Amino acid sequence: MTNRLPWWVGGILMSGLLLLAFSIYGANRPIGASTYVPYFAGIIFDLDPEKYVYLKEIEPHGAWEGVMLLGALFGGFVTSVFITKSFRFSLIPTAWKRHKNGSVVSRLIWSFIAGFFMIIGARLAGGCTSGHFMSGMSQLAISSMVFGTVVMISLLVTGRFFYNTKDK
Amino acid sequence: MANIAFVAQEGNTTTIIDRTFGMFDTVINQPHGSLALVFLIGVIFGGIIQYTRVDKFEKIAGFAMLKDTIVPKMLFLAVGLTSIGLYFMIKSGGAHYHIKPIILQGLIIGGVIFGASMAILGKCPGTGPISVAEGRIDVLVGAIGGLFGGLVFTLYYEDFFKPLMGESLGKLTLLDFFEGHEELTVLIFGIVVTIISILIPTVELCDEKEGCE
Repeated sequence: MTNRLPWWVGGILMSGLLLLAFSIYGANRPIGASTYVPYFAGIIFDLDPEKYVYLKEIEPHGAWEGVMLLGALFGGFVTSVFITKSFRFSLIPTAWKRHKNGSVVSRLIWSFIAGFFMIIGARLAGGCTSGHFMSGMSQLAISSMVFGTVVMISLLVTGRFFYNTKDK
Repeated sequence: MANIAFVAQEGNTTTIIDRTFGMFDTVINQPHGSLALVFLIGVIFGGIIQYTRVDKFEKIAGFAMLKDTIVPKMLFLAVGLTSIGLYFMIKSGGAHYHIKPIILQGLIIGGVIFGASMAILGKCPGTGPISVAEGRIDVLVGAIGGLFGGLVFTLYYEDFFKPLMGESLGKLTLLDFFEGHEELTVLIFGIVVTIISILIPTVELCDEKEGCE
């Protein structure tokens, strides 16, 4: 059994982190985790921020989330190597093999497609699980409740039809 | 302008390095925490997600199949506790609300696309990078897909995506519907959401590679 924290400890810690981010003694802003993607796309594909309205709009949030992401990669790596000892290279998740298929190619193609549309979806809605669901609902924002409800329904419907959910 | 032209001539690698330093500068010049603090928030964020193992495919895809409830339990608990804590922090002047606008079409179309993608990838944009950090190559491929998604969104923002999102209906919160009873509204919301997190039955989709309980 991998060493891990129970969900309620995770929930309490995450709540503490959200409050630290919101606090004027912390970052005085919510945590978000999807604006960094188009921000990095702008850097990697060498798009001129003066030319693209969207890059100009997201500059402050994108940069903030970009630095946070570097921290998250570091924190995730260190925790996986030294604490949970779950670091390993893998191409296909166990449950994908059991509930979808055993093909690595299929998993990689679906990953690419899902990754592509996930960012389009998040940017259309103006947030993701972090910015809308966690930070937004904590502020009782109507926009985040609409997003959360739609995501929940879409997630469950997709899960029902995309996977073979019968236990083998 | 001359400076930008010069940088572009030097090729993409130099530009990427320059712009990464530009990212640090942007954060340093913002009133949203020091560079070290923002990085630290990321480290803790990544640590919590990794240590609870909610970045595993079995967690989000498992929830989509209704075979795992760890993610919604943890999310609802975090929201319930934070909503109450944040309200009193704001009341004492220690924080501010940062509400996202109700852009109804964007929220609904985006939500449908986002939910379906999350079920298939088994990650969200917050947990995906943590999976990459622990060696999941399939999620790295998903992240590359995401970068192309970000590219397409940026390129066609004005012509296609912005009109698709529609107009903002304002930045409403639940409190706007219960004026005069803000405190009670927050307490009821926070407590109900926390109770929901406890009442959601605990089921887990096991990954034999990491052992099962």
